[in-house]
Amino acid sequence: MTKYELVCGLETHIELATKTKIFCSCTTEFGGDPNTHCCPICIGLPGTLPKLNKRVVEYAILAGLATNCEISRISKIDRKNYVYPDLPKAYQISQYDMPLCKNGWVELSNGRKIRLTRIHIEEDAGKLVHQRGNTYVDYNRGGVPLIEIVSEPDIRSIDEAKEYLEKLQLIMRFIGVSDCKMQEGSMRCDVNISVRPVGSKEFGTRTEIKNMNSFAHMAKAMDYEINRQIDLLESGEKVVQETRRYNEEEDCTESMRGKEDAHDYRYFREPDLVTIQVSEEMISELKKKLPELPQQKAKRYMEELGLPEADALLLTQYRRISEYFEAAIKGVKNPKTVANCMIGQMFSRLEGDGAKENFAVKVTPENLNALVRLLDEGKIRMNLLKATLEKMLDTGKAPSELISESDMGGLDPDALRAACEQAIAANQNAVSDYLGGKEKALKAILGAVMKATRGRADAIEAEKLLVQLIKK
Amino acid sequence: MVTHEDILNIANLAKLSVSPEELDELTKDMNEIIGFANTINDACPQATDFDNINGLSNAFREDIVVPSYDREEILKNAESQDEGYFLVKKRM
Repeated sequence: MTKYELVCGLETHIELATKTKIFCSCTTEFGGDPNTHCCPICIGLPGTLPKLNKRVVEYAILAGLATNCEISRISKIDRKNYVYPDLPKAYQISQYDMPLCKNGWVELSNGRKIRLTRIHIEEDAGKLVHQRGNTYVDYNRGGVPLIEIVSEPDIRSIDEAKEYLEKLQLIMRFIGVSDCKMQEGSMRCDVNISVRPVGSKEFGTRTEIKNMNSFAHMAKAMDYEINRQIDLLESGEKVVQETRRYNEEEDCTESMRGKEDAHDYRYFREPDLVTIQVSEEMISELKKKLPELPQQKAKRYMEELGLPEADALLLTQYRRISEYFEAAIKGVKNPKTVANCMIGQMFSRLEGDGAKENFAVKVTPENLNALVRLLDEGKIRMNLLKATLEKMLDTGKAPSELISESDMGGLDPDALRAACEQAIAANQNAVSDYLGGKEKALKAILGAVMKATRGRADAIEAEKLLVQLIKK
Repeated sequence: MVTHEDILNIANLAKLSVSPEELDELTKDMNEIIGFANTINDACPQATDFDNINGLSNAFREDIVVPSYDREEILKNAESQDEGYFLVKKRM
């Protein structure tokens, strides 16, 4: 039987986090009563003129810089014509042959680079609700700025497609150009899929699955579509080039319409909008705004701070988390302790991606820093640190409010020795059990030391000292 | 040359129906219109950049929210509306 391989490229639409729409000053806020975020420009009334939002251009360039794209010095805007009620003008303002960014790439964990053909800016369409034989149209989303990121057909597996999309999401969130929430539609993608016999250099006929709005659906739709195409080829039939949609209930893809050829959109230059010229100054200003990207950050956490890879990846998932971490490790001896506090006790209190993204914990990074420093200075032990952190997470108080002077200061060697000697004297039965070969008896004596010192003693040191003293 | 097929394709994209009688006439008209526009090419075959004749670029707007219109204003000219939505016949 012939073995097949997947050839896949993604077109990813990302809503930009600007305050206003791309061509008018209406808000881009999500939701709102239908048609309340609208004006004559975004409902396409005749005689209105679009005016380009500067931040849209800046965000698109940032997105390009963060994905290794060339930034076009001259770029223009075009009309893409199609007739559907979600577009009040019967055309979408987009970019055709002179996009803002081109020739970029995103690197996957297996070292493969997924090339990006282009990134262009365009307006989102309105929302349609089909019911009772009618179509209800809400133009609140109409005119919200999008970037479309088009990849080359470099993706070879479903896992690569997922990772590519996750990387894009991570990067765009980090540079702050979008929140990339698939469930709210601020990130969605079209998947172009074809299959070919392994070793073949030519591409098979492709189909396009429209509007995937979750990672899980994308994986399922791809799996179904790959198998559908292989079955067709195996039975001697042909794959028809067309647009398909994923049917969640039936878990299959179904035909929407034959793929319209590009010239059917009758692209032509948008006469109401002038050329975009991007200067060197503009690019270097934007480069300065570009933060360290998650992949570089994770690498640095591993190499410079000695964190394990899993920790480094978790701490670079969202920008707030990494900012918190970096503020909390200032001047601490072992950043791994801070990482453990965050990934362990703090993450367990955050439910869902939204909570992690905002990283809204009651403890300030300064207070976590102060707590870990107490450990560094030997003033508290790990068990007290953990217990105090729990209290801090509950109350938002500073460690100094929760740990008294008598808890701190740890135990000097003399005090530890005294406590051990007392515990041995008070537990003679346990001592003889231990000397008689019962290793566990030592724990009872250690427990007495910890109790007497209210947990301030270092358990490992205390145990060593006890053994020394008993065997003397 | 614009052909019958071109006209039918354009009509299809514009969701228009064209009768056989209209087809001949529209094809003839369209050829004349395009022929007229071609005069420009004949007049100055060197010019390629007409798109920036005003010499403007980077006409930007700052990202500052201005209150949107009242919904009644927005829906005022709609042929049909319901519950704050524009209402159109279902298609596709």
